[in-house]
Amino acid sequence: METFAQAVVSGVLTGTLYAMIGIGLTIVFGVMRIINIAHGEMVMLGMFGAYWGQTLWKLDPFLSLLLWTPLMFLAGVLVYRLLVRPILGGGELNTLLYTAGLSLLVANVALLLWSGDYRTISLSYGATPLRPLGLSVAAPLAIAFAVALGLTGALWAFLARTNLGRAIRATSQNAEAAVLMGVDVERVALVTFGLGTALAGAAGVLLAPSLYLYPTVGELLIVKCFVVVVLGGLGSVPGAIAGGLLLGVVESLGAVYVSAAYKDGIGFALFLAVLLYRPSGLFGVGR
Amino acid sequence: MPLLEVERLTRHFGGLRAVGDLSFTVREGEILALIGPNGAGKTTVFNLVTGFVRPSAGDVRLDGASVIGLRPHAVARRGIARTFQIVKPFPGLTVRENATLAAFLRHHARRDAEAAAVAVLERVGLGARADRLASSLTLVDQKRLELAKALATEPRLVLLDEPMGGLNPSEVDVAAELVKSIRQRGVTVVLVEHVMKAVMRVSDRVVVLHHGEKIADGAPSEVVKDPAVIAAYFGKRAA
Amino acid sequence: MRRALPWVVGVAAALAPLALGDPFLLHVCILVLMWTLLGAAWNVLGGFAGQVSFGHAALFGVGAYATMILYLKLGVAPWWGILLGGALAAAASLPVGLVCFRLRGPYFSLATLAVAELFRLLALNWESLTNGPVGFLITALPQIAPFGHPVDWESKATFYVMAALLAAGALAATAWLKRSRLGAYLVAVREDEDAAEAVGIDTVRAKSVTLALSAFLAGLGGGFYALYFRYIDPDAVLQIGLSIEMVFIAVVGGLGTVGGPLVGALFLTVLGETMRHRLQVGHLVVYGAFMMLVIRFMPEGLWGRAHRLFVAVQARRSKHAALGG
Repeated sequence: METFAQAVVSGVLTGTLYAMIGIGLTIVFGVMRIINIAHGEMVMLGMFGAYWGQTLWKLDPFLSLLLWTPLMFLAGVLVYRLLVRPILGGGELNTLLYTAGLSLLVANVALLLWSGDYRTISLSYGATPLRPLGLSVAAPLAIAFAVALGLTGALWAFLARTNLGRAIRATSQNAEAAVLMGVDVERVALVTFGLGTALAGAAGVLLAPSLYLYPTVGELLIVKCFVVVVLGGLGSVPGAIAGGLLLGVVESLGAVYVSAAYKDGIGFALFLAVLLYRPSGLFGVGR
Repeated sequence: MPLLEVERLTRHFGGLRAVGDLSFTVREGEILALIGPNGAGKTTVFNLVTGFVRPSAGDVRLDGASVIGLRPHAVARRGIARTFQIVKPFPGLTVRENATLAAFLRHHARRDAEAAAVAVLERVGLGARADRLASSLTLVDQKRLELAKALATEPRLVLLDEPMGGLNPSEVDVAAELVKSIRQRGVTVVLVEHVMKAVMRVSDRVVVLHHGEKIADGAPSEVVKDPAVIAAYFGKRAA
Repeated sequence: MRRALPWVVGVAAALAPLALGDPFLLHVCILVLMWTLLGAAWNVLGGFAGQVSFGHAALFGVGAYATMILYLKLGVAPWWGILLGGALAAAASLPVGLVCFRLRGPYFSLATLAVAELFRLLALNWESLTNGPVGFLITALPQIAPFGHPVDWESKATFYVMAALLAAGALAATAWLKRSRLGAYLVAVREDEDAAEAVGIDTVRAKSVTLALSAFLAGLGGGFYALYFRYIDPDAVLQIGLSIEMVFIAVVGGLGTVGGPLVGALFLTVLGETMRHRLQVGHLVVYGAFMMLVIRFMPEGLWGRAHRLFVAVQARRSKHAALGG
């Protein structure tokens, strides 16, 4: 029973971070109908930001969040304006291929700059795990979870309560109608892409102390991210949260009870099943 | 034996019953019109007959053999062709290429298919524009192309979904003559249409749908006077 | 005479590396030809049928593993193994298509990604079949002597000829497809699947047959890879990066064209290998950059754009001639 609880808790913690990455991808899809394959690289950049922050300036990763999040937002805005917007008229698949190119470009530039060596961040307070209720939880992961929860809550409030947030939701549901209602769809797109990138980068910073860091980690992350957003329904924020938690828990339980080697495979099998039988997501809210 | 038999055809979409217990037959060589107020389920009937949608219950038979469960291409192969209400050409291809693709169903060699396609294009009046891009055609010509594609599959029965929609009165007349000429060449026609003038002129028989059910079935002149039909279109008071 | 000219130039260009004999040049040419084969394989499904797959590495990998396993465990001569590898990849593609073709557009692409990753996990973990992460190594290739000439497996020239034949075959197959009824059907499927069904085109069968052809070619490429590099493991032949490279070659070269994969392979492989030589890691940066540039400025690809320019120049020249200029 204790193993089960441990696996579930572990799954929820990782799942929350998956969810955060997934939200970033799903809001961009919702507003612009593009699947940004380079999203994984945005997470990777956040990870390396945290790493260099600590290595060069002795900055604690969780503090460097304050630095990298706004920078990633800005980067997202620039990428949208300069790189993505010009090709939006070319169709879904062209955009998919284009972001695939961007993904490869960013990952390889990172390889050029930082080499393919695996890196880790070690924190003084990371060595001893916390022990709530007899379970064992790594401290950095617990902090990441708490911050992710806070950020997700803040995003939710933003989307629900502010005018800009409502504009984003409106554009996501029906772009034509939003334009007719006077929404500045261009501005919404700009902000959404920035937000998506910022969320990805923030997730990267939060995850950095808990994972191996290497420039091509984006490849693995983007596939997991797809699983999350398809499970939850493309375009749905609550869906991404649910999908992230589900994937985290399924992987964790799968690793313990089925096979550690095939744990990724369980996620993919689930992904294919959902794509085939409920392509609009487990909760039927996606497009 | 009638060419097409629709028997107790039913289709639910979630809680909505789009088509309910619908039965009618189509005799070979006749022109049957399917009419009814918007939302009556007419396009759904076409989708059910041609295999784009599976029925919840009921049967559809061509020459006595059921076509339920067949995918659309197999239904076309059996001899039922259709047009779409909102025309679906292959936009990046020329008129000739569009028709040739349809003709490939019955002619395997490209040359034969092209020859058959060109013949059909001439009959619908698109011969002169065979090398224009489908996306560059006017609405009338796009409708002609839609018809040509259906006819190039050499069907026994063709289902026309609102062929006159969006056409002006003189274009409607031309379209009506075209429909008649189809029947003259031995192809049975079922058309869904709102333009009453055309329906009256062209059809031998009319079936009226309302809320997915048949409420009238007979000659055009009788159906038009049927109180149930008038009530469906204009409300109970008018009847 | 004028029509024969491009063919003469082509054959001369093909024979030149053999004449020059430089091993590095031959190696790069072999890579170019292998990627032409793979790009053509992807192009058949992605360019002609419009189905963008991100999982073609799986088919490449099946071909590679099949060739290795047939040779090392069953003693089947590698050249037969390559053909069988292609056939097995085609067979494997049928259930994959059954699952993935139910989806359209980006959903299809994502599904192929998941399927390919599943193949990789299988290869990594099914140790009794695939040796897991250890992979397979060929230490000796069989002594054969067709037409009395013993084959020198150490010479790059041998592999160059093999690769050239395979690539030429792939391009020929593509050219045939373009002119056939199936090719026309694929255009219809690409333009409007429902309209295609309505005129009697069995869209599922068209896509499945095309996928099988695409898989066969990719499997041939995998078998060749196994023979040439003599070592395979899941990371070398089943990873996502390979799938992405195939896509890029076809797109940069020109989707749906016959010559596109050759041009794309020539361009990207030469640039990529040059960078790999200089930089060790990160050489794929070229692929990423060019993919973006092509989509932004030349969506019809290098070959497509060259073809368009060629046609325009021809038109102007014949106008000149007509005007007596």
